[in-house]
Amino acid sequence: MGLSVDERWDLIDKISKETVTFGKYKHTLKDAVGELTIKPLTGIPIAIAVLYGLWSFFGSFAGFFTDGFFVSLFDEHFLPWIQSVFPDKGGWLYYIFVGDPLADNCFEAFGVLTSGLFIAIGVVLPAIIAFYLILTLLEDIGYMPRLAVLIDTILHKIGLHGYAIVPTILSLGCNVPAVTASRILETRKQRFIMMTLLAIFIPCGAQLGIMEEVIPDTMGYVLIYLLIGYFILGFILNKIIPGKSPEILIDVPPYQRPMLRNVRRKMQMRIVGFFKVAIPFVLLGCAVVNILYKGGVIDWLANVMSPLLSGWFGVPDETVGPLIAAFLRKDLAVAQLSAIPMTSYQMITSVVLVSIYFPCVATFVMILKEGWKDLLGSVAVLAAVVFLYGGLIHLIGILLGVA
Amino acid sequence: MKVLLMGHPNVGKSVFFNRLTGSNAIESNYPGTTVDYTKGYMLLENKDVEVIDVPGIFSLEPKDRAEEVSVKMLEEEKDAIVVCVFDASKIERGLYLALEIIEKGYPVIIALNMWDVATDKNIAIDVKNLEKILGVPVIATTAISGEGIAEVVSRIGEASPVKIRNIIKNAGD
Repeated sequence: MGLSVDERWDLIDKISKETVTFGKYKHTLKDAVGELTIKPLTGIPIAIAVLYGLWSFFGSFAGFFTDGFFVSLFDEHFLPWIQSVFPDKGGWLYYIFVGDPLADNCFEAFGVLTSGLFIAIGVVLPAIIAFYLILTLLEDIGYMPRLAVLIDTILHKIGLHGYAIVPTILSLGCNVPAVTASRILETRKQRFIMMTLLAIFIPCGAQLGIMEEVIPDTMGYVLIYLLIGYFILGFILNKIIPGKSPEILIDVPPYQRPMLRNVRRKMQMRIVGFFKVAIPFVLLGCAVVNILYKGGVIDWLANVMSPLLSGWFGVPDETVGPLIAAFLRKDLAVAQLSAIPMTSYQMITSVVLVSIYFPCVATFVMILKEGWKDLLGSVAVLAAVVFLYGGLIHLIGILLGVA
Repeated sequence: MKVLLMGHPNVGKSVFFNRLTGSNAIESNYPGTTVDYTKGYMLLENKDVEVIDVPGIFSLEPKDRAEEVSVKMLEEEKDAIVVCVFDASKIERGLYLALEIIEKGYPVIIALNMWDVATDKNIAIDVKNLEKILGVPVIATTAISGEGIAEVVSRIGEASPVKIRNIIKNAGD
């Protein structure tokens, strides 16, 4: 015997009348800032400024540590050392772990202990630290719900609502927690659209970091293609998937000063998580690709896939190696692509392909946990998208005369 | 015995949880940070007691996947003590969920969290009177700085199921 909703509210009215007194409320500076950042006229320019500022911070922070410190550490000290001390030059193990004995930088060596460690620690780690520092501050200050309200109208066009910005931004760090975060969306339709869009079009922090390092000039085009794809596919999915897309309904919390203790703890957890999940996969990915190269599998695949790769997508057949690595880690795949000689438009196409063609294995497992039916659906959408969107990018290149 | 931390999104349940258990549940200033439950242990009268940080919900009728997790959690843990965490500046909403849980027969203890925010907003709550009307322990807390947490822990044992008609009677006079 429970109360009805009305009876319950009546009771609450009585209780609060007896126990709560509301004093006069003073409009504070915090409220004023809160309003400025949420009203479209002032809020949208502020949001653009905030995001642009964060982007610049990300690039300069990661670049500072990678170019200023890790490149010289790895290329000038670590690489010559490991090339000289690792036994059996020219043997299998040497090839897998150290790679090319003549390489003079860690990108082109391709070994597990050379490229693998350099990518994971020298390039991706600084990027991840920069990203999570920004994300943690945004989260703790309370800016995310405001961003959600501002972007609400746009995201409705793709069957989502403003709060989808939370999984989307988390995804820019790593797709794995973002898949779980898509649970805050109300309907199955929304969650499916969100997970599929994340898995296909949002590059993770590791991938952003490596792009910033190896293809700084073409990175912008890659991101534009991904962003356009995100909206086109979202728009189509919204039209063809049955189900509802309800309105956004959230509390916008007051701004808070971030607590150092909490920022430190969250950063620590996320970075430890990166070490545990990402580094083993980068090293494993390096090893797998090297073994496949040595065994002739990559050459064979490159041959077989040639009509699709150079014919349909317009990229060199050698990209098949990085495409395999991308199953395990996208950052590794992008790094390997950068070592293959090709035109800059081919580089744009192939990096977009690596981004969209399959979620990395960790993300794949997370989507599976949310339900195998949704996973199958996502994979089907993905196959169609890779084929059509990849072909479209090639076509655009031909029309522009650059492919 | 288990302790469930329940309440609206973004009232500080995870902060509370980390304070009680010394765990590392992710804390952020936006609703929906916790989408799956987190378990931890606290020491209560020299026994290890399991504490569960449940995703935030508005009522016991779930509206998304994270909320389904919460409602299922409550249904599965029949002998749990529920710590209802309120945003003290929005006490009516907290009461709605707390009453629903009380009606289901769970022993409840109420933490009026974010007490500092309520004070900033000049909202005064008569904690003693609220406790008398509801018949369950009510404690003002500010989890982020740790105020009131010790009292919550020391009074968890006082929580016992109360009849909703007693609350109606107490509120009437």
